[in-house]
Amino acid sequence: MTTLDTEIVIIGSGAGGAVTAATLARAGRDVTVVEEGPWVDPGALEPFSLDEMVAKYRHQGGAAALGAPPVAYAEGRCVGGSTEINSGLWHRLPDALADDWRERHQIEEFTPEALGRYADRIEEELTVSKLPGAPPESSAVLARGADALDWRSVEFARVFRYDQDHRGVKQTMARTFIPAAVDAGATMLPNCRVDRLLRSGDRIVGVRCTRRRPDGTDEDLTLHADHVIVCGGAIQTPALLQRSGLRRNIGGGLKLHPTIRVAARFRHALDHADVPMHRITEFGPGLEIGGSASRRSHVALALSDSTADYDDAMDDWEKVAVYYAATHDGVGRVTTLPGLRAPLVTYRLSEGDMSRLGRGLVLLGEALLAAGATELYPSMTGAPVVRRREDLVSWWDAVTRSRTNLMTVHMTSSVRIGEDRDRSGADSYGRIWGMRNLRVNDASLLPDAPGVNPQSTIMTLALRNADQFLADG
Amino acid sequence: MLWFERQLVATMTRHLDPDGRSRVSNYVEGSLTAMPEHLRLCVGAESLALGLWARLPGRLGGALREGSAVSLQALELHPLNPVRQYARLMRSLVLFAEQELQPGAGG
Repeated sequence: MTTLDTEIVIIGSGAGGAVTAATLARAGRDVTVVEEGPWVDPGALEPFSLDEMVAKYRHQGGAAALGAPPVAYAEGRCVGGSTEINSGLWHRLPDALADDWRERHQIEEFTPEALGRYADRIEEELTVSKLPGAPPESSAVLARGADALDWRSVEFARVFRYDQDHRGVKQTMARTFIPAAVDAGATMLPNCRVDRLLRSGDRIVGVRCTRRRPDGTDEDLTLHADHVIVCGGAIQTPALLQRSGLRRNIGGGLKLHPTIRVAARFRHALDHADVPMHRITEFGPGLEIGGSASRRSHVALALSDSTADYDDAMDDWEKVAVYYAATHDGVGRVTTLPGLRAPLVTYRLSEGDMSRLGRGLVLLGEALLAAGATELYPSMTGAPVVRRREDLVSWWDAVTRSRTNLMTVHMTSSVRIGEDRDRSGADSYGRIWGMRNLRVNDASLLPDAPGVNPQSTIMTLALRNADQFLADG
Repeated sequence: MLWFERQLVATMTRHLDPDGRSRVSNYVEGSLTAMPEHLRLCVGAESLALGLWARLPGRLGGALREGSAVSLQALELHPLNPVRQYARLMRSLVLFAEQELQPGAGG
């Protein structure tokens, strides 16, 4: 058993943990970051490839929230967390949503102006910007479809740094805030799983870990600390808290952005290197329409989901890309099970969600056909392939709980913040109720699903809470 | 992997040489092992049940045992949701690996 001492342990190195670590280390605090996954050179593997899935995804991408229908989900498990595997899209929390959350959940210092100041700082450091030059064709078709139907669409900014030739490099946490934290004196411990928090009354005195050595063997490690900040994401954070005996308002209220997909075939080739950065915003909040990663393997999966014959479309896969409609009204739960490492995740879609998914699918189909798509394959078992606008109506009836195949990469809200102790797991700054030195600072804190890519909101909140930690002394 | 899972993966894998087929099989095995334990338990239970069914004498078991296209489609369109989800999971794993192992997978 190895024992180490540190002032602050940060558990997890994704969007929340990395921002927290860099902020506290730069302020001269003694920080140790514990990450369950390995260090993987951020440029070493092709984005969204099989090799990346094996190296960087938790469960190699094979996890699902149980329910009717189940929702497949993916999380990063490496230094940098899910920022290493996402598309890098950046969307500030809409002002109206910040106002709504502040009032409904009684959150202090949660005005659009206050959040905007923190978002400005993150955006400057990460060089958040729109793509210089023309968007890739797989993205442009969304804008063209929306224009043809007189709908609003937006090109999202991304967490990318571009060179003079417009070549972009995603500014993941392993490229930015983690090196910044280490440069400022933080210690990074990859391959180190935290099994439980060590509790003494209303204090956490340390964490017990299992560290994987380079030779593949495991060693027990105990880290003693004055402060513990859990940043494992909306699934792992509540699971760790529950394993450590903390259950009050922990794990319930999980929110997802379940997506239903369509593989769209066009007459011309589409580029497949980038995830589309356009979104159709005409029907938000509540319904978002956008594009997904479309390597050949993703195209094959999306085509096959309709269970129609797709060999001909697959032969033409360079003219096919994958798009989605997303909603977020349902609610789920994360529950640890005795003896099992992985928590049980459940999610119940509301009737409103099912209805919006059906509507979203039809609207997505309309936009793609208006943009020139010739064939649409929906991700529903037994649903028809659509080639004409008037046939889209057949999808309404096909969106049922038993036939619909859903997935998500956005999980939030399993330890909600707020000043109402009966409804929240943590206060306005992520301090766990009833504990003197335990905080959460990741996607779990969002009081609701933002309905847009949550990365910006997670990092903004993390910076705000880290500043508050320093202010608290 | 269980017996029925191996049969299914072998039947679903297309277009690849023996080395490619072996890599697909290894990937599927790795993915099943990496799944959350409770999900792996459910998948394993279905594999055992379907494996027993496939060993039954007669037309149904025979078709499944031989992994015919008809029987695969029957699983994917089965009226029972868990059976459909099972078939979809196995098909997705095989398809993803097959496509990723071909040159130019990224486009």
